[in-house]
Amino acid sequence: MPENIEKISVKLNVNGKTYVRNLEPRLLLVEFLREELDLTGTHVGCDTTYCGACTVLMNGAAVKSCTVFAVQADGAEILTVEGLEKDGQLHPIQKAFGDSYGLQCGYCTPGLLISTYELLSHNKQPSDKQIRKAIAGNTCRCTGYQNIFKAIQLAAQNRTRT
Amino acid sequence: MLAQIGDEAKLLAGGQSLIPLMKLHFANPGHLVDLNFIPEISYIKEEDGALGFGALARHAEIENSATAAKLPIIHDCAAGIADVQVRNRGTIGGSIAEADPSGDWATVLLTQAAEVRCLSPKGERAVSLNQFITDAYTTVLAHDELVSEITVKIPPKGTGAAYLAFKRAAPVYPTASAAVSVAMEGDVCKEADIALGCVGLIAIKATAAEAALRGQRLTDKSIAAAAEAARAAADPQSDMRGSAGYKRALVVALVKRVIEIAARRARGEQVEVSHIYA
Amino acid sequence: MANKFGGEEKKWVGKALPRKEEDRLLRGRGRFADDIKLRDMAYLRFVRSPYAHARIISIDTSAAEALAGVVCTLTGKEIVPQTQPFIEIGPDSKVRDYPFAVSKVRYQGEPVAAVVAESASIADDAAELVRVEYEALEPVMDAEQALQDNSILHEEAGTNKIWHGVFEYGDVEKDFQDAAFVVRIDRLHFHRFSSTPLENNVVIGEWNLKDDRIYYSCNNSFPSFAIQFLSAHLNVHIDRIRVQTSDIGGSFGIKITNYPQMAVVALASKKAGGRPVKWVETRSEHMTSSAHGNERTFRDTRVALDKNGLITAITSRHIDDCGAYPRYEPLGCVIWSQVFPGVYRFKNARIDFTQTVTNKCPVGPNRGYSRMQHLWFLERVIDICAHELGIPADEMRMRNYIRPEEFPYTTPNGCVYDSGNYPGMLELAKQLIGWDAWKKKQAEAQKQGRLIGIGIGTTLDSGTNNFGQSQIVNPGAPFSGNSQGANCKLDIYGEVVVAVGSCPQGQGHETTAAQVVADVLNISPDLITVRTGFDTERNVHTGFSGTYASQFAVSGLSAVHGAAQKLKTEMKRLAAFVLESEEDDVEFGVGAQGPELRAKRTGKSINYWGLANIVNVNSAVLPVEMYDITLNCRYIWRAPFKVPDKQRKYGNLTLTYASQLHIAVIEVDRETFIPTILDYVAVDDCGTVINPPIVEGQVYGATAHGIGAALLENCAYDAVGNMLTSTFSDYTPITALNMPKIKYGHIQTPSPHSYSGAKGMGEGGAAPIHTISAALQDALFSNGIIIEDSFNNADSLFRALVGKEICQAERLVKLERRAS
Ligand SMILES: Cc1cc2nc3c(=O)[nH]c(=O)nc-3n(C[C@H](O)[C@H](O)[C@H](O)COP(=O)(O)OP(=O)(O)OC[C@H]3O[C@@H](n4cnc5c(N)ncnc54)[C@H](O)[C@@H]3O)c2cc1C
Ligand code: FES
Ligand code: FES
Repeated sequence: MPENIEKISVKLNVNGKTYVRNLEPRLLLVEFLREELDLTGTHVGCDTTYCGACTVLMNGAAVKSCTVFAVQADGAEILTVEGLEKDGQLHPIQKAFGDSYGLQCGYCTPGLLISTYELLSHNKQPSDKQIRKAIAGNTCRCTGYQNIFKAIQLAAQNRTRT
Repeated sequence: MLAQIGDEAKLLAGGQSLIPLMKLHFANPGHLVDLNFIPEISYIKEEDGALGFGALARHAEIENSATAAKLPIIHDCAAGIADVQVRNRGTIGGSIAEADPSGDWATVLLTQAAEVRCLSPKGERAVSLNQFITDAYTTVLAHDELVSEITVKIPPKGTGAAYLAFKRAAPVYPTASAAVSVAMEGDVCKEADIALGCVGLIAIKATAAEAALRGQRLTDKSIAAAAEAARAAADPQSDMRGSAGYKRALVVALVKRVIEIAARRARGEQVEVSHIYA
Repeated sequence: MANKFGGEEKKWVGKALPRKEEDRLLRGRGRFADDIKLRDMAYLRFVRSPYAHARIISIDTSAAEALAGVVCTLTGKEIVPQTQPFIEIGPDSKVRDYPFAVSKVRYQGEPVAAVVAESASIADDAAELVRVEYEALEPVMDAEQALQDNSILHEEAGTNKIWHGVFEYGDVEKDFQDAAFVVRIDRLHFHRFSSTPLENNVVIGEWNLKDDRIYYSCNNSFPSFAIQFLSAHLNVHIDRIRVQTSDIGGSFGIKITNYPQMAVVALASKKAGGRPVKWVETRSEHMTSSAHGNERTFRDTRVALDKNGLITAITSRHIDDCGAYPRYEPLGCVIWSQVFPGVYRFKNARIDFTQTVTNKCPVGPNRGYSRMQHLWFLERVIDICAHELGIPADEMRMRNYIRPEEFPYTTPNGCVYDSGNYPGMLELAKQLIGWDAWKKKQAEAQKQGRLIGIGIGTTLDSGTNNFGQSQIVNPGAPFSGNSQGANCKLDIYGEVVVAVGSCPQGQGHETTAAQVVADVLNISPDLITVRTGFDTERNVHTGFSGTYASQFAVSGLSAVHGAAQKLKTEMKRLAAFVLESEEDDVEFGVGAQGPELRAKRTGKSINYWGLANIVNVNSAVLPVEMYDITLNCRYIWRAPFKVPDKQRKYGNLTLTYASQLHIAVIEVDRETFIPTILDYVAVDDCGTVINPPIVEGQVYGATAHGIGAALLENCAYDAVGNMLTSTFSDYTPITALNMPKIKYGHIQTPSPHSYSGAKGMGEGGAAPIHTISAALQDALFSNGIIIEDSFNNADSLFRALVGKEICQAERLVKLERRAS
């Protein structure tokens, strides 16, 4: 069975690097990132597109990479948690999460960082309600969200200040 | 393109219904045809007094579109579907083609005299939404036919519409929802369209509830009568989202609230609506 | 409070220090079990039962084995001859527990076979090709029905009852004779839920045939317990089992009981010729067959009260449902008695406690394990009595709370509450929420027909167990006390390296351990490396090492403190020798060459590198009398416990008692029946706080679990045992949109039992469940409704208010007034 599935040639850019690969059409983007590119910062927490642990940025939009086929990312630009830092320096959003104790086990964190990244890319000063809506698709089991709300507010403040 | 692939082929739009089903092995189509590489059908436009949504228009694009904002009920719907990530992928065309009994779009569009444009190698046809979905997960689409556009007439002034759902969490379908459109003349409701979501095999047009409003002044009494008629029209199943009895009660509450918001909008008021979360 | 304890100045302990764990986790460089890939690794998938209760007629794996890429299959029949059934903790247990169902299945999702393949997707496909023929048996889904033994799960045992015991203290009947009021509550029910860590269970196991050792990389959260089970089960010397964990994506106790899957992975690896085998649980598997929290029914409760509403005695019958296999049970049958009277003063009580199996997922020690069920029960008792007697909920508590001056307080069953101030917490919580203002608003709202309730929940988080309590459930159990290990060393180049026996999942152990060592050595925590995760090979664990039961701040940090002090003593001795000075004249500090030891007034110093050099690679300069110095100090901390009196079920069962007091204001919408939290306060007391934001974070997390459990999360089954919440989409774990803003406050009553005054914390005693039940009852009591269940959502409130289906006060509760 698996042998005769036709592979599809895909060219995509992940965290600024271009990859050309032949991929099985049913391979999920999250599997591609984790298994083929060894970018294991993107996680899997569920099988019904609920938890958002797998969230990555695809052409500027947050998506659940467990619900996108890798071949659909042909030509796309993908940003994962590993692509947030610059020259070893944490991205301001990462820093704000750290400073606000916005994580405990850290399993949900990569997804939340990306959802926050998308939010702040089009909303410089999100209200409490907008923050909640923006991360409504990201489950965190450890923090009770309070410090995540603080982290996102702090990240927004730091951005507007600089 | 479709005709060549045959019966086993499935279109892939946002994949937010199809991929979850495939992951759980509930669907295993032989071939997938990705619509995403046809950029021409992801537009949102205003033309001839109607809004046109390309089938591939994503929920998020509609949510953020100034054009779509002309009809606040469209925004209510788009902004309330699932979560940011799902809205960034899921499409209006995929949603109505999927015909999920809990899908938001079908409920909303039922109150909007919407038309579905269907395209096949044999040509194009327009089907009104109330004829498009025939049963749970079933539409009139032939296997070589796709949805290319959904059009919604922009109603004249004095009409207002709104949509409200109760959800346990964002990334799940609602427990129940209600869409209402009212055309008002002063205090009197001239025309009413009321649709209920998640409480039947398909979205339900609550005609008796509409009749209870039509020609009536909107008072607590007439609104309550309409809501009661909606309760009778609902035909819900008990499941993890709630018991059938509860869902009926919820329909009453939702319909009442949505009528009020729709009427305020009909008067030109700006009313922001957000779904109710547990 | 003095700024000194444990002999050194508190410079770092107590500080809001950034977490050491953060950097790697923020960069996406955490190493979780599923991130690990080994050479030649094969993938395992379970075949699971669709039935809740059925006999296995046949299993045919041939089609699966024929699929290209399949390495092997494994079934129960095959493993029975190679293994022993798992250890049973219960007395004379006849239950035979294997990691696969052997002759019958006992819950939906129980593993019946496994398939190992070259890739995860082949394993997936192959699992679907395994044909299992079943003969359905009658499922037993209700605990009370199970006790009738009409359909028996474990035929070998001959009964569904797992344990029964009576906990009786004082002259209960006399109190009832003398009572001014007697309140009877027919039935209360604490529902099944799970804290569902975001990372599922993962096991990578390799039964290396060359050295005949088993290597695990996994996310088990109590590995020293797991190896005890695995060693006996697999007939393997315990030292031949190596367990390593790295970053763990939450456990909340749920990952304690994944040792059966660990066993399967090892056996599969053996059959696959010693290749490493990886099993990654799916969320659906996690929901149906990982572990749930204990479900409990409270029957025939009688409460005796005096004329002031002071509770004098309680009798009740508790029935605990542990699912299909006891596993960690019947420990839960005694663990609850750590908090026997809760925060209340009553002395006399009789609790008749029974545990039974049912055809549901086995339970595991979920956050707040066994105690939260009991504490919820007591809070319901308090509120129901308060409402029946017309005493305000806050007043009722003030009358019944153990008073601050009574600590240390010995409970009727011999537990010693170390410290606490419940009235003080109530005061603070009332202040934070604006109690009087809310009371006014509530009264106004009631006039408009709105349903607003204000509820209080007081609860305890007992930490650092005395495992001697296992002897109360099984007099033959070979466990007592509690201990934890740690190692602190100067490595060859003088780096300070700390290893702990705990197995953290986000609690910040690397940070707090560094804070403790930093204070001992008077250096910055940045200079201290704390090893990530757990590893049996580090040789710092005891049989109790792991992360569970709110104990790290006490047992873990006490061990770290002990190890650091040992190291410090050695360093001093060695430095005194090198610097030709008196030990008392040696000071710790940081100089130009990094951290160093100086001889007072001489200007002489030696840095850590110098000390480590002498001991490790330059030992010829060391005099013989110093040969005992290793600068590699292992310390085992032991809790000062005694074995409890098994007959009387009496003794101190836990070391520290942190407490929580929450207040919630909730409105139930008249039309939608949706309960909305309008305001919420959480006040915490975990003694001396070691790192305030870490503690605050634990409080928020536990609060979210409680609110989720109270309003959204319920492990539901239908009548024939199908699990109805087998996905996150059905189970709906709490999200940002459901979570109210939490106001946080804390008081500190230092514990006399830990070196720092800290108490174990993190489980939170499920305060929100009690609080939300209380608030809902306050909102609905005027409608004649008693909150009988710990799970309440819009649907159940609708059924209570409109359907009149459940919890009607007149049926459920009876008040007998005898006051003259
Ligand atoms: C976690 C989660 C929560 C969700 N919650 C909600 C919710 O609250 N409310 C809601 O309404 N929806 C919800 N959805 C569904 C979401 O809106 C989907 O986007 C939508 O139902 C399907 O759209 P799609 O573009 O993703 O379609 P796809 O999944 O790509 O396709 C769905 C079906 O339609 C067919 N199809 C797609 N496009 C066309 C076309 N143009 N012509 C003909 N056939 C076509 C496909 O072949 C397939 O059978 C949720 C989804 C997820 C994953
Ligand atoms: S793993 Fe993608 S949403 Fe849970
Ligand atoms: S920090 Fe553990 S799930 Fe969010």
